Amino acid sequence: MPKHDTPLLDELEKGPWPSFVTDIKRQAATKPECWDILGQLELSYRDKITHWKHGGIVGVFGYGGGIVGRYSDVPTKFPGVAHFHTVRLNQPSGMYYSTAKLRAICDLWQKYGSGMTNMHGSTGDLVLLGTTTPNLEPLFYELTHNLNQDLGGSGSNLRTPSCCLGKSRCEWACIDTQAVCYAMTMKYQDEIHRPAFPYKFKFKFSGCPNDCVASIARSDLSVIGTWRDNIRIDQAAVKKYLSGEYKSNAGAHSGRDWGKFDIKKEVINLCPTKCMHMEGDTLKIDNAECTRCMHCINVMPRALRPGAEQGATILVGAKAPILDGAQFATMIIPFMKVDAENEFEDLVNIIEGIWDWWMENGKNRERVGESIQRVGLPTFLKVLNVEPIPQHIKEPRSNPYIFWEAEEVEGGWDRDVREFRKRHAQ
Amino acid sequence: MAMSKEELKAAILKKAQTAAKPQLYVKDFYECDPESKPRDVKNAANDLVKEGKMDFWSSGSTTMYAAKGRAKDEEHRG
Repeated sequence: MPKHDTPLLDELEKGPWPSFVTDIKRQAATKPECWDILGQLELSYRDKITHWKHGGIVGVFGYGGGIVGRYSDVPTKFPGVAHFHTVRLNQPSGMYYSTAKLRAICDLWQKYGSGMTNMHGSTGDLVLLGTTTPNLEPLFYELTHNLNQDLGGSGSNLRTPSCCLGKSRCEWACIDTQAVCYAMTMKYQDEIHRPAFPYKFKFKFSGCPNDCVASIARSDLSVIGTWRDNIRIDQAAVKKYLSGEYKSNAGAHSGRDWGKFDIKKEVINLCPTKCMHMEGDTLKIDNAECTRCMHCINVMPRALRPGAEQGATILVGAKAPILDGAQFATMIIPFMKVDAENEFEDLVNIIEGIWDWWMENGKNRERVGESIQRVGLPTFLKVLNVEPIPQHIKEPRSNPYIFWEAEEVEGGWDRDVREFRKRHAQ
Repeated sequence: MAMSKEELKAAILKKAQTAAKPQLYVKDFYECDPESKPRDVKNAANDLVKEGKMDFWSSGSTTMYAAKGRAKDEEHRG
């Protein structure tokens, strides 16, 4: 029996698609506070303003993240959601878990929370929506003691690191994303669970430039697997694609007849740097010009593979559009080895170099990408002791990207112009 | 010379108790000892929270610090 009239929300149940309104009504059968979610949302639709307040001194002992305080600003009308805190759980690397684990988490959430979840949040966490302050500590105790499950990050913390499924299932993975994600999660437990920075900081690890976790668009530090040598070509397999024996795109999009595979139209002409051509029925690639777009490999996976000398590209500074507009990450290190053997030492040095600088120079609520934009990329490269290279900017041929300091130029800025003009006529 | 950890904690706590604003960013504590590294200041502030002398206040995206009892929780603000 509905507790509130929700004519506006009811409209959202009428289409052919699944409706969150229907889901919440179903959940309200066992969790009556869910009626108050619908009641408050209906009021927000009418008032055209949110009735959620956020923030507060909520959390579990010893942690400064993982719980996000949510409060209703109309608690007397909707007492079921007077407190409605969000709990973030650190997802396993690559989001592999057993159904038994998921059931256990859901059972626990039914016991201590609203039963509503969001899988997964944009940082990858399993997000549990809606509980009260008194339930937080008992929930946390059971999560950690019975399910061996930790909280994720929130606030000005290192956010829960996330990765693609990497070498566990993907032949293109150039780095073991799950290993590096796990290692960084364990190494930086303090930074995940307690605030450390001027604002949030996110790591994401992708095994290849397909970047299935969209790290280039969403993370402050993006680690993307790549190769330094040449794309490996199996010319016999290329011929089988040409003859139609092998389906392009591994048979994807095969639900309709796209005609005979045309390597010129579907691969060569779509190469962004035009680094491929055919000599007879042999595919040639000018690897020095390849920008790792992955298109040719995606279309002909049995003929083309990433090179054998593998590592990662490091990019810094992506963010969503809250303050200054959305920003992609900037490539900083074109290639580095990412090895578990030396406990990812090179990567750790980069991470901690960035943090040390940003903690000192970043403004409050300023993402590291915004700090870089404010001080300029050359300054940031100097901080990391990285030599500028043309690939650091978009158009190296038309955009000057090196600003010389006086001490880097023979004679500094005080050269005798008349002497100079003797050798360089105006 | 940078302060010892205990001196730094005392300076942070004093600032948190006496600052005009009840909630402060971690960077606001850097001035307690300009010689200390930002990471040491952060660790000292976090220790004070563990000891129950300060609270974290988090909006969900940003975290601030407050001396115990100075920051009101949203549920008490009405």
